Formats: sequence, structure tokens, C-alpha cells
Amino acid sequence: MSGKRPFSATVFKNRALRARIWRLDVDVEPPQAQTFLAAIPGQFMEVRLSDLSLPRGTEIPEDLRDAARRQIILRRPFSPCDIRKTTKGARLGVLYQIRGPGTLRMSTLGAGDPLSLIGPLGNGFDVPADLRRALLVTGGMGAPPIEYLAEYLKTRRPDVDVRAFAGAKGLEELPYEVRFDNEKGAILDEFRRLNVESCIATDDGSVGFHGFVTDCLHHWLERNSPGEGRCIVYACGPERMLAATATVAQAWGLECQVSMERMMACGIGLCQSCVVPVRGDGGTAVNKLCCKDGPVFDSKDVIFE
Amino acid sequence: MSDAIDLSVDFAGLRLANPVCTASGTCGYADELADYLDLNRLGAFVTKSITVEPRAGNATPRIVETDAGMLNAIGLANIGLERFIREKVPLLEGMAPAVFVNVAGRRIEEYVAVAERLAECGAIAGLELNVSCPNVKQGGITFGTDPDQIAKVTAAVKAVAGGKCLMVKLTPSVTDITACARAAVDAGADALSLVNTFPAMVIDVASRRPVLANVTGGLSGPAIRPIAVHLVHRVWREVAGPRGIPLMGMGGIRTASDALEFILAGATAVAVGTATLIDPDTAERIINGLAAYCRRTGTTRLADLIGAVQ
Repeated sequence: MSGKRPFSATVFKNRALRARIWRLDVDVEPPQAQTFLAAIPGQFMEVRLSDLSLPRGTEIPEDLRDAARRQIILRRPFSPCDIRKTTKGARLGVLYQIRGPGTLRMSTLGAGDPLSLIGPLGNGFDVPADLRRALLVTGGMGAPPIEYLAEYLKTRRPDVDVRAFAGAKGLEELPYEVRFDNEKGAILDEFRRLNVESCIATDDGSVGFHGFVTDCLHHWLERNSPGEGRCIVYACGPERMLAATATVAQAWGLECQVSMERMMACGIGLCQSCVVPVRGDGGTAVNKLCCKDGPVFDSKDVIFE
Repeated sequence: MSDAIDLSVDFAGLRLANPVCTASGTCGYADELADYLDLNRLGAFVTKSITVEPRAGNATPRIVETDAGMLNAIGLANIGLERFIREKVPLLEGMAPAVFVNVAGRRIEEYVAVAERLAECGAIAGLELNVSCPNVKQGGITFGTDPDQIAKVTAAVKAVAGGKCLMVKLTPSVTDITACARAAVDAGADALSLVNTFPAMVIDVASRRPVLANVTGGLSGPAIRPIAVHLVHRVWREVAGPRGIPLMGMGGIRTASDALEFILAGATAVAVGTATLIDPDTAERIINGLAAYCRRTGTTRLADLIGAVQ
């Protein structure tokens, strides 16, 4: 018992993909390395950032200077975008957007720094044995678990056809390595490396389709249809995007799993703050905990805001 | 090394192996915490609130972080009395620490109904009467700010508590907390716990709206610790000490030093709340830290430090 206590990981690398979007890689040793290597995409971890210092004053963006002054105490939940085996254990990838006092501190982490983690936590995406096609939909910082799901499916389920639909406000908010190809336009390198076709949608049209990612999904389904065999839509992103994804999936008679987000204090079912209302027996609303019952839910069950 | 340090305390007739307990509402019904902490090392376990009927609680957001603390407005979400007795009490039966169940209600009859049923449960050593929750419209803090109401609900529950240790949890949100403490003790409380959270509010200046769906919430965490220490000391000096009533002190405890402040101020036991949400094994680290403090200072009996502030 008591085997899931906080433990210390070691920073391998921490770098900016965009001005405000960074990727942190941390090394985890046994025995926690094994539990992370067995983790399911969509599971998450709680990271302690409260003992980190702030960047130097001049490195703090103007719009975050007020927020930077706030002390933090709670851990922050992150869903890994990548988990891979190393000679000493496991390496976890964490994508994050600098937008407050926690992530500002996170950006100061350097190679060799210790980082306290709890996890893996919660329930990830369900990948049934008879799955034939996975349609992955992400918006903004919903990218990490979807990115890991793409890799997970490609490496462990080569029989499944995987394609991705990635949305963001604009190019600067796309949490991927973006490459530009003369013929195909913008390409998301994380998906290209996995040989997963991806479609980009941005609210401002700065790259890819000018509009919602859910429209991309809908257009693709119109052109191609879900095909034979079991097809599941997997989504992570803002709640409105998840609700719209669920509507598209329902219109096509497809199953849809959504990874939800809530403010969490603990991430382990103690504080009861992260409730997601779902349809219970007889249609009455029942509160489930995003951290323990989720964060992945069947979209049919969720009562979206 | 096998040292002769005695961390145990006598809490209203209950022998606690050490003074470190969980604070209600931050530790579930125990099973949630079992993977993260050796529950059997605790002095006592205090469950989350139980009401007669299940409660869904408030809308989200239910929490917001603030400087050196957080606000919560959970709204006493709980599984209800009968399910608690059916599903959770059996899990508490094998636990070494004394178990306190936090009891809440909207009316005195509801507190009584819960207490009556829990009095039948052998696994439960005591009841903590929640007359101080700031996040519900009825009951809670509306009882706890009125000494007459405190006396009434305490006496009513005491009559049906079947000899269980009755601990009344006080709100800090009153002009004179000693009046509330006195009312509870006069009405038969065997112990007092203090302090509950402070009613507070955070506004999002971008949306110009309160962050919490409930508008207000209870402030907890290190931000409140010096106020809580002060209130524990006042209640100890003016009411609990002279009457021989033990106090369970709480409010922002993260370390053994924090816990010792409360003990020196007059607390016989201490409860860890918000810190458990951040590091779920905090209570264990505090127990280890208390032993280390005793070794360092040549203290053989931790209980000698209760109220020992000079």
C-alpha cells in the first residue's frame, strides 16, 4: 500500500516550441518508470511547481507580470504527450503553455533539476480490440494526450487507421512542430513522424483551414465516411470543442471519447472540486470526478456546459 | 534507534498514537488516501462531511488558488448517511487510528438523525459536528456563528451520540470565538476543533466575475495559519485549558514546525488539510518531523508541549 506517493523525476530538457508553448522532458526511474510505461494515453500526473523560482523580471511577458507575483501552492495536472523507454527508465514529454504563475515557473526548469510528480492518475482512452479506425480531434492545449494516443496506436495497434484533426486559435497556439511544405502547406511534424495524416484548423486562418476543427472532421467524414469496422472519435480540447465533436460523432453514429478538463486541487479524488456532470440511471445528472472517474468519458454520458 | 520518545496524546479519553490527524473534506472517506499514505500511522482520521441525504454539491469551479492558499466551495458533496454506513464504514473498521465522522445538516433534526445512526457503528470513535461550513445556504456557518444555536445542536447531538467523543468544529468568522467555544463546551462537547475555513472571494478581473460558481468560498492553507494559531491559543487560554477540553488545531499546517506551533498554542491534536491535497503523505512526514523535534530538543513526551508557549 501507499505505493503511489509523490516521487522525484529529473529534467532532461525544457525548450520553447513557440514563444508561449514549451516542451519539457523528464526522466523517471524505476519503479515509477514501469507504471508510466504501462500508462494509457489520457492519464495524467500532478506536478509540483511551487518550489521553483520565477524567471528573471525582464523575461516575464508584460501581460503575465501581475500573475507572476502570485504565490502558488497547488500542483498542476499535465497529461504526457509522449512516454518512452530509456536505458534507465522512462522519459515523459510534457507540453505546456505559459499562461500563469505555475507555467512561468515551469519554464525555468533546466537539465538535471528535480521535479516532484504524482501519477499516472485517472483513466485514459479506451482502445478496444476490434477498433479499426481512430479519428483524433484536438483543440489548443488539448494536444498532449491525443499526440500520445497517436503514437500509442501506431506502435501497439498497427491494424488501426489513425488520422488527426488539430485546431488552435492560430499558428502561435499550435502546440506542435510545424513544417511548411510547398505542396501540402503546413505539416504537423509530430503526426508526420508517426505517418498519421493530420488536418489543421485555426480560428484566425493563419495556417490550415480557416474555421473550427470540428468542421474539418465533419468535411472529412462527408468525403470519406467512417468506413468498415469499428471507428471511434477521440477528443481533447476546450469543452465547447468537445461538445461540438460529440455532436458530429453522434450525427455519424460514431462512438466518441472525450478527455475533460477541470480545476483540480489534488488530482486524486480527495478535494471533490473537479466534478463533471454525467447522465446517470434514469437520466438524472450525477457528478463524476474528472480526476478519478475521468478525465476520459464517453461523450454520450457527459452533460456539457 | 529505539528511542523513548512518546508522541501519544490523550484526546478526551481516546488514546491517539500521535497528535496528527486528517482534516475533514481533504481526505475523503479514507480509501481514497490509502494508496498515498500509511493510514495506520495517523493519530486520528476525520472523514469528509456526511449528511442524511446524498448531496451533489455546488457547480464548478469549486476551487481557486490564491496567494499561499486556496478557496473551496464544494458544498458538502457527499454520498449520504446510508451509503456511507453500507460502503465506507466497513473499510474504517480495521483502521488503527481513532475515526471521527464529520456530521453536517441543514436543521438540528438532520444532525441528530446522522449522529443517531453513527452512534451504532463500533468502528467510529467520535463525531465532529460541522457547524462552520461557509459554502452551504442552510446550516453550516449559520449555526456556528450563533452561540445559542451551537448550544442547541451540540446538546441535541450529545443526547444521541451514545458516548462517542463529540467534537464541535468552530468557524473563525465570528467576533468572539471563545463565546462559541464556551457554548459548545457548556452544552456537552467533549472536544473542539478549530478553525474551519474563512469566507472569502476571488474576482477574475478579465471577466469581472467571481471565479467560484458559488461566488464565495472558504480560504484555507498557509495564508490562514497565524490567525488559526492565535484563535487556538485564545480558546485554549480562556475556555478549553481551564475546563480540561482538548483542542484539535488546524489551519495551513504543512510541516512539523507548523504543527508544533498549534500544539504549543494549546492544541492536543492537529489536523492536516490543504497540504494533503498537495502532498498526500504530508501527515506522515509531520509525524516523523515531530519525533525528530523531540529527539533534537530532549523532549521525551510530546504531550508536555501542549499549551507550553511561554
